[in-house]
Amino acid sequence: MTEINFTFDGDGITATDGQSLAAALTGAGRREFRVTAQGSPRGIFCGMGVCQDCLVSVDGTPNRRACMTKAADGMTVETQHAFPELGTDSRLPETPRVRVLTPDVLVIGGGAGGLSATIAARRAGADVVTLDERTVEGGQYYKQSADGSLLDAQQAEGAGLVEDARASGAEIIRGVEIWGAFDGPLVLAERDGAALIIRPRTVIVATGAYERPIIVPGWTLPGVMTTGAAQTLWRSYRTLPGRRIVVCGSGPLNMQVALELADGGAEIALVAETAPSPFLHPLRGARLSIHGPALAWQGLAMLRSLRRRRVPVRNGLRLSAVEEVESGLSVTFRRKSGGTHTVQADSLCMNAGFEPQNEILRLLGARMTYDPAAGHLRCERSETLETSVPGIFAVGDCAGLGGAPAACAEGRIAGRSAAAQSGHGDAYDLFADQRALRRHRRFQKALWQLHDVSPTPVGGLPHDTILCRCEEITVGDALAGYAVTPGHLGTLKRATRVGMGRCQGRYCGPAAARLIVEHTGEALTDRSFFAPRVPVKPVAINAILAAEEALCSDD
Amino acid sequence: MTTDLLVIGGGIVGRITAFELAKAGARVILVDAAQNAGSTANAGSLHVQMQSRFIRIYPEHAPNVERALPYYKQAAECWGTLEACLGDMHLVRKGGLMLAESAGQMAFLEEKARREETKGLDVALLDRAELDRVAPWIGPQIVGAELCRDEGKLNPLLANMQLAKACADLGVTCVTDRVEGLVVTADRVSAAGQKGHYRASEVVVAASWGSGALVRTLGIDIPTAPEPLHMNITEACDQRIDHLVQHAERSITLKQFKTGQIVIGGGWPADDHGTDQVPGVRAGSIVGNVALAARLAPPIGALRIIRTWAGMNTTADGASIIGRLPGVQRVVMAVPGDAGYTLAPLVAQMAASIVTGRDPPADPSPYSPARFAA
Repeated sequence: MTEINFTFDGDGITATDGQSLAAALTGAGRREFRVTAQGSPRGIFCGMGVCQDCLVSVDGTPNRRACMTKAADGMTVETQHAFPELGTDSRLPETPRVRVLTPDVLVIGGGAGGLSATIAARRAGADVVTLDERTVEGGQYYKQSADGSLLDAQQAEGAGLVEDARASGAEIIRGVEIWGAFDGPLVLAERDGAALIIRPRTVIVATGAYERPIIVPGWTLPGVMTTGAAQTLWRSYRTLPGRRIVVCGSGPLNMQVALELADGGAEIALVAETAPSPFLHPLRGARLSIHGPALAWQGLAMLRSLRRRRVPVRNGLRLSAVEEVESGLSVTFRRKSGGTHTVQADSLCMNAGFEPQNEILRLLGARMTYDPAAGHLRCERSETLETSVPGIFAVGDCAGLGGAPAACAEGRIAGRSAAAQSGHGDAYDLFADQRALRRHRRFQKALWQLHDVSPTPVGGLPHDTILCRCEEITVGDALAGYAVTPGHLGTLKRATRVGMGRCQGRYCGPAAARLIVEHTGEALTDRSFFAPRVPVKPVAINAILAAEEALCSDD
Repeated sequence: MTTDLLVIGGGIVGRITAFELAKAGARVILVDAAQNAGSTANAGSLHVQMQSRFIRIYPEHAPNVERALPYYKQAAECWGTLEACLGDMHLVRKGGLMLAESAGQMAFLEEKARREETKGLDVALLDRAELDRVAPWIGPQIVGAELCRDEGKLNPLLANMQLAKACADLGVTCVTDRVEGLVVTADRVSAAGQKGHYRASEVVVAASWGSGALVRTLGIDIPTAPEPLHMNITEACDQRIDHLVQHAERSITLKQFKTGQIVIGGGWPADDHGTDQVPGVRAGSIVGNVALAARLAPPIGALRIIRTWAGMNTTADGASIIGRLPGVQRVVMAVPGDAGYTLAPLVAQMAASIVTGRDPPADPSPYSPARFAA
């Protein structure tokens, strides 16, 4: 492994080649990456390019996401301040680089669903381009290591899928940030400052999901991160998020990551699951083992492994507050049975379910319905996984949580269907994949009945709790704004700035939408959430400039 | 619901009107449709000099705008008074620059500045050297600019909230409903909404582009039309752009808020998706608008655009529509002709003074809706 050296605020940092800046800085014991407008330190939170909280300045370019930026030898990295200086260089950038692509099938996302779709569409004979935001494919489930080493069967299975996709003849472009999707379809993206303009015949959206946070006092403190962020640090970069870790929320990912981090050498002070013990619901457990005996067995084995490592796993604990103390973080839970439970740790990982990354689907006008069981929108799809917009398909968690095995089956179905729609293959005989898909969906339904991902109503939180991480808007601010101009989520946004920041309302939006319906008594629908808007991720002005010339000569 | 006075439209004009009427002692109900309405989507430019965009797109309306120039200047000053009275709106009045990239554009600005000066505007022409001193961030191709010292900018989110709070403090009742028609009888005016009926002795129509359709039920044809316009905003950076920035020939406004964010807009089109859907953003608008900004102000190129949105501008014939409807009792119009946010305080105060019978801040007669009488 090659060693590389860079500086952070002038201090020398040594890292392994391939590590993200976030992992390299975490490995060096640094966890404060930026300072907000109100002077609060922030660090890694989502670990997957969504929250925009781990911003640093790299070689003079402000606001780079440490989790998505590869550390490189000789880099000058600095804490990101809220108001970076822009310099006075008034020269225009050099002639921008542009690529225009016109594939039969554009696959957006290189995870379980996207890679499966890529392989299926390519095998049917379609010309396929696949875009992935990360520098290594595999997505959040198959999470590959930066150096290619394999930790376990899950990574090995992912490596096989990545290899098949690369060998399929599809063009897979990594490190791509998609920022625009328009009728046509027309997709606009950026890669290293160069513009990508894609005019595909069909699109398969496979953008996955991000983690639902637990909004409580202290959830923005450095050291508090999503469980997936901690998993990426370990699985992709062999970096532990801390020495003494608490994992909390609900769902199987928490147990899995606790076990991985324990195996990696961390002390897991507590795994706190919001739901009551599954042994209190033997019927639900039985249903789970009927629909997915192998996966149910895996779950039980994880629990046993944690016990063997003397990791305390407690059910019925709901996170209520995080405080900064001398030794790190003081983490407080409310017991379902009453009373509180406090643990000290240096890191807190949280996952309370998932939110679909459905921004591109919503932008393109795909019809959505609210799923109360999962607490998020589901995309309406046909048997072939085509959305309500002709030529636009959706697979995997972006269409509503379904898990990786279902995403793979959906990818195979959508890949062949999209290829057929663009004139390649006939997409007959999808029976086996559709049967597998039904089985995976039954398992998922049973699985989530054992967990509790119902979002905590934020209206009952202490009023100084941060609701909008980016704009530092508190629950009290939101309630006060609502009182002056009651209305819908858009009204609240304009009254308080909630959701106006860089993460574009991905964390506060769903919570604020619930805050509104608590007052209005209306049911949640697609319209309850923030209106979809370009850019779907923040995009540099110079990247838009790069796109402009190509688009103008195009039209 | 029954009240003294009814205001239809809860954008900036409606809010200031309701505030002025309540301040005069009236019981006021403010009804707003809330979905995709005319305002609360504004970007906060205080326009005084003639916008080149307007002259280019609506040449037939340009004489109306030119006649009204002193009134734009007065409106920009009204904003200062409002901020002093209601609280911080991040108002900055350091002037506006209209940039030129060629000798031809400079000649256009010279002629424009000459005409604006005769209307009492505080304008000056700057060459490149003078421009470098006040705006060191401009691109190398800029040859000069017109500076209009009367112009400025404010943060409309703050201003909207200050007005909403002021209305609440004065007891204005705010209702979310879409009013679909008006009926005037001998002793009152009734407004039929989708959810309820509202009765008052007089109504002020401040429903921007929806105003025309609303009064058509009374037999008056006022051609208000929605013009959905695109806007972009960046993440924050250090304070360096003082002016409201425009271009002599191309559609753009660019300004920096006190939050450090840069707002880029200036008249690029968006798609109107009807009254109950938000307007759609066009690829050509985000790309064209932002690329133009990058060329005019290259140092902003490293910043990221974090959000775009579209708001509805209102067009009629270029002049504001203020006053009583011809031949109809109890209905007063309050619709700015262009640059609705800039003109809002003056339009609202003039409409309110017609209702209360007090002295108007400026003569409303040139803006009377009587000009639309059949």
